[in-house]
Amino acid sequence: MSRWFPWLQAAPLALVLACFLLVPIGLIVVVSFYDYDSFSLIPDFVLTNYREVFASPVTWQTYLKTVWFAGLTWLVTLALGFWLAYYLAFVVQDATWRMVLFVLCTVPFWTSNLIRMIAWVPFLGRNGILNNALVGAGVIEQPLEFLLFSDFAVILAFVHLYTLFMVVPIFNTMMRIDRRLLEAARDAGAGFWQTLWCVILPLCKPGIGIGSIFVVVLVMGDFATVRLMSGGQSASVGLMISNQIGLMQYPAAAANAVVLLAMVLLLVAAMLRVIDIRKEL
Amino acid sequence: MTEQTKPAALTRRGALALAGATMGSGAITGFPTLWAQNIRNVTLRQIGTGVSGLNPIAEQVKKDLGFTLQLTVTDTDAVAQRAATQARSFDIADIEYFSIKKVYPTGALQPIDTSRIKLADKIVPIFTTGRLTPDSAAGQGTSPFSVGFVESRDAKAFAGKRTELMTLMPTVYNADTLGIRPDLVGRPITHWKDLLDPAFKGRASILNIPGIGIMDAAMVAESAGILKYGDKGNMTRAEIDKTIAFLIEAKRAGQFRAFWKTFDESVNLMASGEVVIQSMWSPAVTAVRSRGIPCVYQPLAEGYRAWGSGLGLMRHLSGLELDAAYEYMNWYLSGWCGAFLNRQGYYSAVLETAKANMSENEWGYWMEGKPATADILAPDGKVMEKAGAVRDGGSFQERMGKVVCWNSVMNEDRYMIQKWNEFIAA
Amino acid sequence: MRPDVELIGVTKRYGHGPAAVDGISLAIPAGSYCCLLGPSGCGKTSTLRMIAGHETVSEGDILLSGRNVTLLPPAARGTAMMFQSYALFPHLTALENIAFGLRMRGVGKAERLARAAEFLRLVQLGAMADRLPAQLSGGQQQRVALARALITRPKVLLLDEPLSALDPFLRTQMREELKRLQRELGITFIHVTHGQEEAMALSDMAVVMDQGRIAQAAPPREIFEKPASAFVARFIGGHNVLELPGGRFAVRTDRTRLAPPPGGASLAGQVAAVEYQGAAVRVVVRAPDGQTAEALLPDGLFHAAPVAPGEAATLGWDAQDAHPLSPNA
Repeated sequence: MSRWFPWLQAAPLALVLACFLLVPIGLIVVVSFYDYDSFSLIPDFVLTNYREVFASPVTWQTYLKTVWFAGLTWLVTLALGFWLAYYLAFVVQDATWRMVLFVLCTVPFWTSNLIRMIAWVPFLGRNGILNNALVGAGVIEQPLEFLLFSDFAVILAFVHLYTLFMVVPIFNTMMRIDRRLLEAARDAGAGFWQTLWCVILPLCKPGIGIGSIFVVVLVMGDFATVRLMSGGQSASVGLMISNQIGLMQYPAAAANAVVLLAMVLLLVAAMLRVIDIRKEL
Repeated sequence: MTEQTKPAALTRRGALALAGATMGSGAITGFPTLWAQNIRNVTLRQIGTGVSGLNPIAEQVKKDLGFTLQLTVTDTDAVAQRAATQARSFDIADIEYFSIKKVYPTGALQPIDTSRIKLADKIVPIFTTGRLTPDSAAGQGTSPFSVGFVESRDAKAFAGKRTELMTLMPTVYNADTLGIRPDLVGRPITHWKDLLDPAFKGRASILNIPGIGIMDAAMVAESAGILKYGDKGNMTRAEIDKTIAFLIEAKRAGQFRAFWKTFDESVNLMASGEVVIQSMWSPAVTAVRSRGIPCVYQPLAEGYRAWGSGLGLMRHLSGLELDAAYEYMNWYLSGWCGAFLNRQGYYSAVLETAKANMSENEWGYWMEGKPATADILAPDGKVMEKAGAVRDGGSFQERMGKVVCWNSVMNEDRYMIQKWNEFIAA
Repeated sequence: MRPDVELIGVTKRYGHGPAAVDGISLAIPAGSYCCLLGPSGCGKTSTLRMIAGHETVSEGDILLSGRNVTLLPPAARGTAMMFQSYALFPHLTALENIAFGLRMRGVGKAERLARAAEFLRLVQLGAMADRLPAQLSGGQQQRVALARALITRPKVLLLDEPLSALDPFLRTQMREELKRLQRELGITFIHVTHGQEEAMALSDMAVVMDQGRIAQAAPPREIFEKPASAFVARFIGGHNVLELPGGRFAVRTDRTRLAPPPGGASLAGQVAAVEYQGAAVRVVVRAPDGQTAEALLPDGLFHAAPVAPGEAATLGWDAQDAHPLSPNA
């Protein structure tokens, strides 16, 4: 009896995961081998869907673009998130202030995704606040077109959305750093940058790792931000899948989903190899 | 046509509908004919787009027929998907004709017995003969007529001629063209090819719903003399390749500011001045204008691209529910609803009864292309169009008579979508 | 001898409260082992941190080898600090931890690791070079911390309660080792502790602090034999502090006997407790006026004339063993 007890305790979670994670993923894998025509799925085992994914230069291009979005967003959110977390953890001393500033960081989440993205239009648009201000200030003569409906706008929206996902885990690891370590570094002659590079950064690795996984996974799977902020001019894998679902090409969408899932898993595995996040859990 | 209904839009339409209801409800005669006491317990679940999935209609149904119409509103693609894959989760599909080309063969729907539709013969001939008038041309593409009838209850193929069994009972339809900002384009817009005018570089847009976008693109390509299609609604692979190639070229040249997918996006693009010429839907033009921003639904020399939708009965409907559904469809054609939809700038299936429910001024403005004799009011009392205004494109005959193609599903659908994705990713 | 470390009127205030360190002046001779001793909150750790440069000085000056270092950063002072619970970098191996100070000073990798290895041997941990701090015992961590502090060859080593995290056995062992190292290196150690035994065992000079002030700074023997105040006498222990007709006195418990010697002073009362301690027996006597005093008797002496709690007894001592204390401190 006691031998089975741990299994029994783990069973509910395992069951939930099996029902709501493994089975659906399994179904997606199965469907990805189905054939289809314009109005129905045809149970079968064909490789057409995968062939179309891998043989088409468009998919390659789209995957590359998605990785590019993820990479750039990762770089910017990391740089921003690290310093925001640093400021919150080491510069702000007062706990109340820290809380207030932390809540400020969540402001982007106070409105719905869609409204937030639509709100960028009057700000970044050709006749938007920013362009009008710049033109008014005499900085530029013509409105900047690249501000909206461009890759710049996509990255901007991603950064706006996901920096918090970087800030929180990094802040968390920073708060766990024994302040005496910083004194010890200073005592040993380390300056600000040396302390940062040799002590704080290595100790923040788990937080950076978790934040990176969040950001990369979220960006890789995104379709709404890319569509709205690029004005539909850029594609991402998520958008491609969403289009295929919209057109009832489920097997094609499933094949793309499987490839995307594999890719994201590989990326996460690579990140876990570099950074041991178990310290954080 | 895809449309996500936002609360703002609902409120506007809701109020409009209430106004319509007070005007129109007196004119209903002879309904309902089904007096079973238990019909009040019936609930019909309808899925559809924001075009006609309007709460005032459900409220009026409750009032006139006694049973409950439960509306689920989503976008065109989702309606088609759910109809094809989750048919039992609702009873009536308010769906587009080009979607039905995909959905009907899945067997999710049962045909409609026209003998139970009282005004079947009064339905606009576009749906029953394929032509508005005997001598007007049938549009290319997935016209409602081509997918409007089947031979038998279990047929999966469309009849292509009038039979006793309809796939959908037509509800709304319209003729689409390009929307422009007359204050910003700086010159008269006369042809579809004007979308490609380098003067509008970075200020043009096209909609990113492949089945509809490709049609607009085809209108542009043909207008610009880039290519001549056998059937724009059913392109060959070579035609698709060439169409996409010219789209990619225009995109790389920076002609397009954005591609839109939802109603609201198109309104925002136009109202903000990001775009001055683009594919557009009629109520979106009205929405821009209601913000005090000039916007014209520009009639073009080559004619219109049209769309239509209708009510379909899900296969599982039977007994009392089926009776109620027929009751509902008959009510739909009986006038109140037609007037209600006409006032939104759409067209309804039976014009006679709708006319009886509209004022002379309304009918003249919306349907006959006459200058408004008095202000056309929005339901909230705000002036929508001033006295003397004329509807863009003129009368019903002028607009629906110049339809050159319908929203379509092509035989090469799968290939077209693949190529369309290439265009978006390019 | 010129002092190595000199504090002149050093004051530390946190916010608007009373000064944590209140105008202390102190000169610590070069090459000596100095212990800062006192109860918690007495200001000893703040004093140490000010010497190290991890705490700003509110008023006064700190001189190291005659140089005013009050405003210098820690690394420019010639001091090194060993932190309480060691503050080893958890992501670096023992060897890398030790080499850290050299790395910060731009010493090449090969050279700094070689020198770190030397210091690792100095603290007898040669085999532990590649271990992370989490893989080391408390005593081993402490040696690494010591080596890390010493590698930059400081003139003054500052130790913040270095032995408090160790068990009693290790503590004694490490105590010897600290003393040995200090002797061999010939540099000044300033060691903060709250244990008087530790201070006695280690220091050439003990500084007893109380409420931000120095109560007494002297060699430990002098402190034990001539405590400057009742506070010092009580804090270092082994003393009876008594209010007697002639004034206030401190009398060492080991000089107190159960029988009053002829001509000596005495305190009569009842035996309150008898505690056997092996080589000695502790007898506590409570006088009728409420004062208590104790005698630490060699076991032979006690067993020759044993007493039990509740019995009447008189404590006595030689007049020269009563050390007069100022009445108000």
